Amino acid sequence: MTETMRRDFKNRAEMIDYLKEQFSEAYATDPRVSDEFIGGRVEAEKRLQQVKTGSAYKRSRNYLDGAVSKLSPYIRYGVLTLAEVRDFALEQSGNGASKFINELGWRDYWQRLYAEMGDDIWEDQEHYKTGIPKHQYADDLPEDIENGETGVKLIDDIVHELKTTGYLHNRQRMYFAAYVVHWRNIKWQAGARFFLTHLLDGDPASNNLSWQWVASTFSHKPYIFNLSNVRKFTGKQYEAPAHETGMEIFEGSYDDINADLFNEKVR
Amino acid sequence: MTNTIAWIHADNLNPNQPALEAGHPAIFVWDDELLKQWDISFKRITFIYECLLEMDVTIRRGDVAIEVGKFAAEHNAKHIITPYSPSPRHKWIMRQLKVLIPDSKLEIYMDEPFVDYDGHIDLKRFSRYWRKVEKYAMQATSK
Repeated sequence: MTETMRRDFKNRAEMIDYLKEQFSEAYATDPRVSDEFIGGRVEAEKRLQQVKTGSAYKRSRNYLDGAVSKLSPYIRYGVLTLAEVRDFALEQSGNGASKFINELGWRDYWQRLYAEMGDDIWEDQEHYKTGIPKHQYADDLPEDIENGETGVKLIDDIVHELKTTGYLHNRQRMYFAAYVVHWRNIKWQAGARFFLTHLLDGDPASNNLSWQWVASTFSHKPYIFNLSNVRKFTGKQYEAPAHETGMEIFEGSYDDINADLFNEKVR
Repeated sequence: MTNTIAWIHADNLNPNQPALEAGHPAIFVWDDELLKQWDISFKRITFIYECLLEMDVTIRRGDVAIEVGKFAAEHNAKHIITPYSPSPRHKWIMRQLKVLIPDSKLEIYMDEPFVDYDGHIDLKRFSRYWRKVEKYAMQATSK
């Protein structure tokens, strides 16, 4: 007889106790649950009402403390539909919501591509435009990255936040992906798998194709960043001298970093 | 006469979705193989479970096609409705179900679309996609 799983819990703690037993392997690997994101439609609706979709979003969304919606875990599981989030945005901000709706468009775009690509979503869509031969990229994510012990503060902070909350700002995702693929020469698939494990909104469509965009296997050129960019968008956390935080590897102009990281012939 | 069941999966955990509207018995199955393949963290499992508790679904675990098949048999159902998913695994499980219950009828239910347009859309780059769909995406859903 097939066992039906429990639904009657007095509170969250009791549910978590039950899940610990049922999913003991995942629990043993990392027992944390997200206190920032509670699953379900009730919470999703509450959050939707607080989202800023107009000029505040447009102006600040690239900043870590900007007015981003953090709705992605709810949208990923279809708890909120893209159409209803769009309708809410139009009602709140009219045409002023165009940037917000454009970002919702990315999710729709990735989903449509996924429907066409199927499992090919795990394959390079194009060749790397870095000049580095594919075989020189490692297959697996090294432990220092996985454990957030690289000594590069930005990266270690990102890993810690990901594992604690199950969520990262888009810019943190881009920084992390660029570090993994371009500074450490690791195949994007290894990083994409790591994100799928931990991100509450992890979904092969948005996740893998965004990794490919950073890697340059689904874009014209690799995405990189530098320390000024980090300092601009992350507030005051990374103002200490770069050599004290292991972040001197991000110092310099984009031209300098390109020259350091990639094969000059292809630039 | 045959009955209907709804097979719910993690690409649509909205309690108000079309596949649940008629109140047919509904099942969600934790896909053991996928949990392993994606190495899904305890955080994600907890979040999904919380979503499920707000839905009127029976929760089970194992091989998805087999469990959905059993649930259909328990309810004497040959009609299985399921929300849309772009995932190749969803398509694969649907094919399995068709093999397990050859005389079943499987039907996919769609949410209201973000872009209400059926013509060709070039997906080579986002910019091409957006040029085509922007005017539809900027329209509210017609009630």
